[in-house]
Amino acid sequence: MELELTDEQRWLADSVGQLLAKAPPELTWSALVDFGALTMASGMDGLGAVELALVGRALGEALAAVPFIDTAAARYAARVLCDESPGFADVLTGAQAVSLCLLEPGGGWELGRSATTVIRHQATTSTVEGQKVAVHHAGASGALLVLYTDGEDRRLALIDADADGIRFTPTPGISIDDAVPVSAAALTGVAVSDEHALPAPEAEIVLARLLAIGGILAAGEAVGAATGLMALARDYAGQRRQFGRTIGSFQALRHLLADMYVKQTSAWSTVLYAAAALEDDIDDALRTASIAKAYASRVTLEVAHGALQVFGGIAFTAEHPAHRFLRRILVRGGQFGDAQHHERMIGRELAAGARRAELLG
Amino acid sequence: MNLRVTAENRRLRHEVRRFLRERCPSGDEVPYELDERVEFLREWQRQCYEAGYVGRAWPAEFGGGGRPPVEQVIVDEELAAAGAPEFPNIVGLDVIGPSLLTFGDDEQRRRYVPRILSAEEIWCQGFSEPEAGSDLGSLRTAAVDRGEEFVVNGQKTWNSWGQYARWCGVLARTEPPETRHKGISFLIVDMRSSGVEVRPMTQISGHAEFCELFLGDVAVPKENLLGARGQGWQIALHTLAHERSTAALPHQVKLRTVVDRLAAEARTRSIEGRCIADREDAQVALARALIGVEVLRHHACLTVGKFLDGKPVGPESSTVKLVMAEAEQLVGTTALEVLGESLYASEGDGSKSANRFWYETYLYSRNATVLGGTQQIQRNIIADRILRLPKE
Repeated sequence: MELELTDEQRWLADSVGQLLAKAPPELTWSALVDFGALTMASGMDGLGAVELALVGRALGEALAAVPFIDTAAARYAARVLCDESPGFADVLTGAQAVSLCLLEPGGGWELGRSATTVIRHQATTSTVEGQKVAVHHAGASGALLVLYTDGEDRRLALIDADADGIRFTPTPGISIDDAVPVSAAALTGVAVSDEHALPAPEAEIVLARLLAIGGILAAGEAVGAATGLMALARDYAGQRRQFGRTIGSFQALRHLLADMYVKQTSAWSTVLYAAAALEDDIDDALRTASIAKAYASRVTLEVAHGALQVFGGIAFTAEHPAHRFLRRILVRGGQFGDAQHHERMIGRELAAGARRAELLG
Repeated sequence: MNLRVTAENRRLRHEVRRFLRERCPSGDEVPYELDERVEFLREWQRQCYEAGYVGRAWPAEFGGGGRPPVEQVIVDEELAAAGAPEFPNIVGLDVIGPSLLTFGDDEQRRRYVPRILSAEEIWCQGFSEPEAGSDLGSLRTAAVDRGEEFVVNGQKTWNSWGQYARWCGVLARTEPPETRHKGISFLIVDMRSSGVEVRPMTQISGHAEFCELFLGDVAVPKENLLGARGQGWQIALHTLAHERSTAALPHQVKLRTVVDRLAAEARTRSIEGRCIADREDAQVALARALIGVEVLRHHACLTVGKFLDGKPVGPESSTVKLVMAEAEQLVGTTALEVLGESLYASEGDGSKSANRFWYETYLYSRNATVLGGTQQIQRNIIADRILRLPKE
């Protein structure tokens, strides 16, 4: 057991931070890919969830908007397949970005029975139809990872983003953060090749890991955004003068900022711990991911609210960057389930655990 | 970082579990009356020490196990998960011991540390005074230099386990008041000295674990000075940082067992004719309490795991203290909230015990944001030493 980041991990975090500070926005994605941010997800060089979380945090701190979370999550989740589904793994290589198509209109992150279904089976393909929403970065993606129903089973398949029968409709305003483009996707008579579709047992395993790593990366990015905003608020409190003194010397603000720091740093601890638990396949790793997502979603928003209070009126103006951090925190807080979603799931599981113990007891 | 445990760690875990299955007293076996309770717990700590489970990461030459800190984490987790009773020498283990290891000379370390571990000698802490709580630097207890010895006069308070302690770590002023923090020294006071008087105080939880301590012309030999004269403040900061950090690791497991017990209790009780555990509001409240405790575990592991072998602890320990106190109070209030009306509407079985555990858990938790430095003091430390905000 090693409870601290290694020197290599610290170096990696610093390097990604520097890279994001230098690269112009339109080149951020290719710079990240060149750096190897995607091969980490594929399990090269012994790197994995902890390193991905470090990248996620750096992206949040820099407010970069790239298709990292979906792409890295898809690759990371598919790692458990080993060599059993080579066709599936083949799509997840190179610089190609992936968009997840999981949510449906009116649905939530419990992702029960998908209304997107197979309407026809052919020799080596199936035809799938349905509606998906909240598809991130659809325009930048080469492939879609789609959740659908086949008879009684839930399945996952990789489909070319420009395959026939897929129509994206940008849905600006659906998300509170327009820097992260979100679309709806209509699938009409889309052909899914069998070699790019996971059978039910594998689909369930990959889906569970996809939600866990996705939640961890979204939480990591939210923590990064909270960290970036917190640093601005701290500097402002150290410079701004009112009543003839620096406002950061007032206990009301000192304690507010101290509480914000505690939230930010404890959220980061739980995200890192959850990433390491998933990577090392610790018991309870999926629940730990859920705990990290619930906590980080809740407290990073509280950090943002605290920062807005420190800035006062200036942060209510559109030209001040505070609202862009706030928006990013809200978007990542909701992606892969918000705090309430995870609290409901964890609570249900606790009650079920107590019932099992009673029956055994 | 990685969370993979070695085969050796796993063997240790199984070894501790086997030990606990055979030897760990159940909650009912621990006497309720305090004198009997302390004797019982002292024997329990001695057994655990002999088995190698107390001070496992402390230096072997001073009675410790000399093992890597992670092993103490494993042992503490198992002790707490089994619901093992607490050790009575908690002040010696979490507070004074690490300071003796860091600031004591070899003779002091050999004399005191092994008996802390075995619970042969219980320690208490004489820091706070009636007029020096959070403002510890204004303490007035004075130690006057009389050549061979210091003569100490003053009053201390919140002296946990003082009535059972053989030794007390006393902060006393050896230099004039205007020197403030720089004039404080750390003295090891024999509680059997003449002039030492202890008066237990009953806490809101109903127990009398802490005391007032009166020191009247108490003679303290010069060799009982810990560290240098005037170094007391520095030692106190070190001591308090340890108290609020390494204690978090066993503490979180104890809180976790309380959450599990609450979930089980929720199955056995109803509100408005409906099992509490089936109600979504109760489930969400339980989930939030569990999240609080788990985040404490993660944060403590990543922040203070490395300090378990006595290394100096930085201001990050204040973040652990804040998270720990919040988790403990969340568990306490969640118990009352989840059990809710069932606490009043139950017929009871004639004994006091049906609700007592939950009331005591709640009442005791109110202390968490005060002891070892209040939340406000922790926030000051973070604002000054981590955020480097301008002074007030």
